Order: sequence, then structure tokens, then C-alpha cells
Amino acid sequence: MLYITPYGVMLGMDQLTDVLTAISHPTRRAIIGQLANGPARFLDVAKPFDTALNAVTKHLKLLERAGLIERRKQGREVFISFRGEPLREVAGWVHEYERFWNQRLDQFEQYFKDKKTKGKKK
Amino acid sequence: MRANIKTIEFKFERTVPAPPGEVFDGWLDPKIPGNPWNMAEKLLLNPKVDGFFYWTFKGTPHYGRFTEMERPDQIQHTWVSPSTLGEESTVTVTFKKQGEDTLMTLVHSGIPDTDAGRGHEKGWNYFLDIFPGHYAHGQRKE
Repeated sequence: MLYITPYGVMLGMDQLTDVLTAISHPTRRAIIGQLANGPARFLDVAKPFDTALNAVTKHLKLLERAGLIERRKQGREVFISFRGEPLREVAGWVHEYERFWNQRLDQFEQYFKDKKTKGKKK
Repeated sequence: MRANIKTIEFKFERTVPAPPGEVFDGWLDPKIPGNPWNMAEKLLLNPKVDGFFYWTFKGTPHYGRFTEMERPDQIQHTWVSPSTLGEESTVTVTFKKQGEDTLMTLVHSGIPDTDAGRGHEKGWNYFLDIFPGHYAHGQRKE
């Protein structure tokens, strides 16, 4: 099922669920935060966590299912990297009104700031 | 609002460098960037109590009725769009003097609690906190 907002954003409901599930766990958020700094090997990803490697593997599977990470083989090693697009799509989808009002109010505030600045220059 | 629909609300605050009367007037002037009317492709606006508005953006209609108009303190109107599932939500904008500036508060309440709203609580704040760079530089589907 696709959802269409007034602003034209479309996202599959299943993907939305997968992404929100993926970021609902602190360990998975920490993994995302780590991978946002650049690709890493599995053992490097697992290193900061005081948890079994199996558990890290499960977290990575959930992140992969949500499209938030991808694995790439380079020689003998597999590198895991972060993909931001699903989060961006979710953000665009989930919050049209927060986005809408923030954009409007930012512009409104800026208008008066610019007006004040121009007034001082005169 | 229908009784069987849960609703959510969003609150926003901005400090605007102008006195409340000027900000109040600006919020109702379609020529001033940032207010909802400024972005309209088609606009009918009658900003007085029981006055209606109609505007479209990207072909999507928005309707409402002004319910409070107390210059320079407060504007309140209903807000109906496809995103409110055709139900009336409420937008309340208050303007409070803060030194030489105005503390402007906008509360949009009565928005149907769809998956969109719930999704926000789980993901949006976190996302904005951690990945502003990705968001700012990414291609927005707008």
C-alpha cells in the first residue's frame, strides 16, 4: 500500500514499518550512528557492544530489511555501510504537518529578521 | 472530530523580531512569506471571526473558518484538508510581547492520529538529531 501526502511523498506502508521497527531499538540506533561515520566490517560494528555476535547479526538483518544498511564485498572482506534514503523518506512521510509548519514559520521569522536588518542599514 | 478518532497536536514556537501587532498583521497578509496563505496557488481569505478561507497547494484544497481574532494576541481557525481526513482540526496562533520581539506560538491540534503521527514519535526526532546532514543535503521528494 502506498500513502500519498498532499506534498507528493509516497512510501510503502511495509517499508515504513520496517524502518520504524529498525530504529526503535537503541542498539540498532547506535549501529546506524556508527555506520553514519563510514562503512565498517562486521566485527568492527559489533565491537562497541557488550552483546553476543548473534544478537548483532539479528540487529543487522533488521537494518538490512529496512534498507538502512547494505553489505558490499571487497576482496575477502565484507563492508557494511549506512543508507540514509529510507530515513529521509520516512521523515518526509511521517511528518508533513511538522515539516509544513516549521518551513512556514522559518520563512516568516526570516522575513522579519531581514526586514529588521534592512531597517538598520537605512 | 469524530469521537472514535484519536488526535494529536503539534506545537511550534518562534521569536520574531517585531512587535506583536506587526507580526499578527503579517500572519494574515498573503504577501508576506511564511504564512500559509502566501504559498497558495488559489486563495480566498476572509480573516475575521466566522470568515472562511480556501487555498490550494499543489492542487490540494485546504479549508477553514476563523473562530477567534484578537489583535494582537491570538488567531484561531479550523483547518480541513485531506490530511485531516476531512475532519476539522484547529490552528491557534498566539503572539506575546517579549522585549522588542514577539514570541509566536502555533498549535495545530485535533490532527487525526494516523500512522504518520505515531511514526513521528518513534523516528523523527531521533532522525533530526542524528542525521541533519543527510537530511539537509538529500534530495527531498517535494
